Amino acid sequence: MYLTEEDVREIAAYTRIALVDGEVTDLKSDLNAIIETLKPITQYDLSGVEPTFHPIDGLSNVMREDVIKPSMLRETALALATSTENGQYRIPTILGEGSNR
Amino acid sequence: MSYSNLSIAAIRAGLATRQFSAEELVQDALNTINIRDKVIHAFIELCPELAYRAAEKLDAALSAGEAPPLLAGATIGYKDNMNLEGTHTTCASKMLENYKSPFTATCVTKTLEAGALPLGKLNMDEFAFGSSTETSYFGCTHNPWDLERVPGGSSGGSAAAVAAGMVTVALGSDTGGSIRQPASFCGVVGFKPTYGVISRYGVVGFGSSLDQAGVFGRSVANVAETIDAMSGKDPLDCMSQDAHAVYSSSVGAGVKGMRIGIVRSYVDADGISPEIHNALEDAISKLESLGAVITEVELPNAKAALSAYHVIGPCEAFSNLSRFDGIRYGYLSPNARNLDELYEQSRAQGFGAEARRRIMLGSYLLSSGIYEQYYLPAQKVRTLITQDYHQVFEQVDALLTPTTARTAFKFGEIADPVSMYLSDIFTIPINIAGNGGMSLPVGLGEESGLPVSVQVIGPQFKDENIFRVAAALEACYPDIARIAPDTSGTQQASQAGGSAQDSQVGGSGQSSPQGESAQASPEGGAA
Amino acid sequence: MKDLLKVLQTWEAVIGLEVHTELTTLNTKMFCSCPVEFGAEPNTLICPVCLGLPGALPVPNKAAIESIILAGIATNCDIEQQTMFYRKNYFYPDISSNFQITQGPVAFCMRGWLDLNITEPAASEREYREGTTELPASYASSGYTTRINITRIHMEEDAGKLVHIGGTDGRITGADYSLVDYNRCSTPLIELVTEPDLRTPEEARLFLQSLRQIWLTLGISDCSMEEGSLRCDGNVSLRKRGAKELGTKTELKNMNSFKNLHDGLAYEICRQADVLESGGRVVQETRHWEPASKHTVSMRLKETADDYRYFPEPNLAPYDLSDEFVAEVRSRLPELPDEQRARFMEVYALSFIDASALASDRDVASFFDEGMAFAAAQAQELAKPFTNLLLNDVLASLNTSGHVLAETKLTPAHLVELAQLIAKDTLSSKQGKEVFAHMLKTGEAPAQIVEKEGMQQVSDTAALEQIALEILKEFPDKAAEYRSGKTGLLGFFVGKAMAATKGQGNPKLINETFIRLLDGE
Repeated sequence: MYLTEEDVREIAAYTRIALVDGEVTDLKSDLNAIIETLKPITQYDLSGVEPTFHPIDGLSNVMREDVIKPSMLRETALALATSTENGQYRIPTILGEGSNR
Repeated sequence: MSYSNLSIAAIRAGLATRQFSAEELVQDALNTINIRDKVIHAFIELCPELAYRAAEKLDAALSAGEAPPLLAGATIGYKDNMNLEGTHTTCASKMLENYKSPFTATCVTKTLEAGALPLGKLNMDEFAFGSSTETSYFGCTHNPWDLERVPGGSSGGSAAAVAAGMVTVALGSDTGGSIRQPASFCGVVGFKPTYGVISRYGVVGFGSSLDQAGVFGRSVANVAETIDAMSGKDPLDCMSQDAHAVYSSSVGAGVKGMRIGIVRSYVDADGISPEIHNALEDAISKLESLGAVITEVELPNAKAALSAYHVIGPCEAFSNLSRFDGIRYGYLSPNARNLDELYEQSRAQGFGAEARRRIMLGSYLLSSGIYEQYYLPAQKVRTLITQDYHQVFEQVDALLTPTTARTAFKFGEIADPVSMYLSDIFTIPINIAGNGGMSLPVGLGEESGLPVSVQVIGPQFKDENIFRVAAALEACYPDIARIAPDTSGTQQASQAGGSAQDSQVGGSGQSSPQGESAQASPEGGAA
Repeated sequence: MKDLLKVLQTWEAVIGLEVHTELTTLNTKMFCSCPVEFGAEPNTLICPVCLGLPGALPVPNKAAIESIILAGIATNCDIEQQTMFYRKNYFYPDISSNFQITQGPVAFCMRGWLDLNITEPAASEREYREGTTELPASYASSGYTTRINITRIHMEEDAGKLVHIGGTDGRITGADYSLVDYNRCSTPLIELVTEPDLRTPEEARLFLQSLRQIWLTLGISDCSMEEGSLRCDGNVSLRKRGAKELGTKTELKNMNSFKNLHDGLAYEICRQADVLESGGRVVQETRHWEPASKHTVSMRLKETADDYRYFPEPNLAPYDLSDEFVAEVRSRLPELPDEQRARFMEVYALSFIDASALASDRDVASFFDEGMAFAAAQAQELAKPFTNLLLNDVLASLNTSGHVLAETKLTPAHLVELAQLIAKDTLSSKQGKEVFAHMLKTGEAPAQIVEKEGMQQVSDTAALEQIALEILKEFPDKAAEYRSGKTGLLGFFVGKAMAATKGQGNPKLINETFIRLLDGE
């Protein structure tokens, strides 16, 4: 077993996903089963092998020129949000009641 | 008159000679959808207004004497992780149920500029996490060949829409087989180009180093022309490359003298269905008879691809999906008293179970100490797998492999995530290495009656080789059905192939809380 | 509170800085083509990329990469030609994707250094100067030089801005809710991290000032601490003098001026000493400097586990910069403040203090250079009077008016002319000041002003002697007193002569004349 229920709770907290009652047990067994299938990775002889993070061989230095293009209309952007005020995104209190900060 | 089965070339010619108008093509397609999608449920949303507007523009241009552009009149649907301004981009998730992108994906724009007629957005596994389209928030899509079976996934809606003749072509995305596996299950051509051939800009990211957009069509030529229209360097995607190839010109070039590799351990793999094994053997002999040189090759590190994929994919997905917190767009949980609750409730309620699982897995695999155990080795395995392909493609010009080990499975048949993950074992390695691959139908299984397909893989940025091999093979199977017969019963209830009856739709059903109509009808849908 | 100098008798302060600089002189953001601009209406400089909309992808700004490489070269860093961007994952509403694109273990610039020359009075904060060198005698200033090593400079993107509503003074604590503006989100940002090589708050302050001058010279940022384009956090810990092991450090934030940087660090050093001397332990935490009440407070935020799930950004290609690329950037390197100071000392024989003062302000230094170009053959002899005018009169007037040099009516040519008139004794220094005041007001050339105002200095020896003789005749008692030893009365006679010449007499000549007449007989 790789993860305990406590681990699962910590990961959920880190990824900002609230867990409902009973979900932890299922998640623990699912995640452990999946991690078990990843074992080949941990057993491979990879000494002297460099990682490949990007699949296109030799692609490097992709950049653009420093030239302005028009921004979005603010109305267009804010229309996508549920909660706005005075041209800004409104979020509830960061340190308020029930906060774990 | 139905235009469902016309090729892109035939549509172009018909438009040029005024046998029909683009408007008629839209009408016809919407009719077909109206009939067939009731039971298949490939579309999440229809956009008839956009389609008619595009048709009007095209008809006007043709009337003005302009030559029809490459995809003129081809009806097209887009996987619902592709942005098309004026439609929702839901990624089949409650998280984005009401999200309308203010910009259009480059690959979508290019098809529209080439004259394609956009009909709507197609169902998928939520955020492309899945191989059966069963994780969609909007309910399952049914395999047109057997409504009790899954269409595959994650681009199940795209594959089903093409297989049912509802669109000429459909776009999908492929992170670990999400185009090729559903294409195989639905008996259509499904092509994932080399990573970098199609811009990813505007396609919602899952595994950014693995994702590549591609095409479903009922013929290799349709797919080639669509790729011709979509490919090219996009300054908005750093990975986008100018492939400098015209794929449609490779169709028909033949395979004489081409060296085609087969991986014996794949062809004879345990668990591979006899239908697929036989289809592969048959395809090999056909290619040989066409003058191709068949060579056995090895991919010694492919066995580690599955686990590497299930490390890299979730890690990138975890990070890519962090942006969904409900603040700027997407589902916002009501009644959050503070920022923490806003995040935790919105994400818990907005994401489905598989998305939550992959996000958590990715987060775990990237955590300090664990990164070194899984993520880094997975990227090193990637180096070895890539080297395998480099070596193989020094010996051969293309590879012929299975797409899947078996044909389409029934709803609910594969329930646990681990078994589901195994269904992509032949498709995943080239996402790791970045090469292109195509699933090509070669007929219906004698026993199952379901589509059987093979996969053709090419060297990086030599996707034209794939088109040569696939087109040659396609010509060897001239009689295979291009469109799954209509078993909906609503019109000239049809016969062949399928077994499902009119009313008993689907097995598992997973009926969604909102359902398709909630999405489709506001656009004035024909669905 | 304790006295800093006393604390530093027993304790050694170990200070490291993290300096964030927005590359405000660029046109566009780090990963999208939105403008970089301060003070625009909220959320008007945003696009799908910097707003993190689904499907949008980042594309790096080439000019930003060039800027950071220039910054690295200017601070003696090794340029890492093979590097890449990473994602730093954490949830906070001011970053639109809930990850920040930054760099991993290898930054574009690694292992640099800056030498700081610390003169009095700043030098007196450091009594124990091991590892430093005395300033050369030729500098004629007491103080020391200390090398501050730079760990790295990496490229990243800035976050948006939060406004907290409903609490006191816009604080996050007690706020009812907050508003988010993403205009600043993805502004190109370079973060420089020093080794913990600084030992006094003055060194920290001077390091930041030197760095700011370098960045301004390079033209990569406007470096406005007020607008937040230059921001500095400090890490500080104490250890007993002579101890090797580092103590527990605290991280200090909100030091948004040079004075606050100094005072915040000084306070924190004394606070830690208090804690340690009363048997307590320093808690590793982030503390906020409150300039109004002059103390630091714990930010009381639960320290989230420091695990940002860093991994290489899959959407961005890695870097493998060519030698030519780096050489091209290097060729743009302007003369840096230290090199400029050395040149001013060598070419114009200016003192270390004067040369440093000139070189410490980019505008002043280039004004000086332009002035010297006008002075041409006379540059050597005019350098000192010109410098005096520049560092005293000009800077004083700028201080008073709040203007910058470019906003005044002064030109280097006119100021050289003025220096010349003073050097040739055409004007007394007092007259010089009057002419200068006119120049500021009207922008006229000194010669024009002198002529218009009839301000020629009277240097006619015979005329001055006549005036002197008359004054001595008028005040025979005073003359007698002087001769009997009360030489302080010289000033009295000179004053009378200056009044008689309406201030235009050459004070030096008048002086000489009286001495000759009074002493000579």
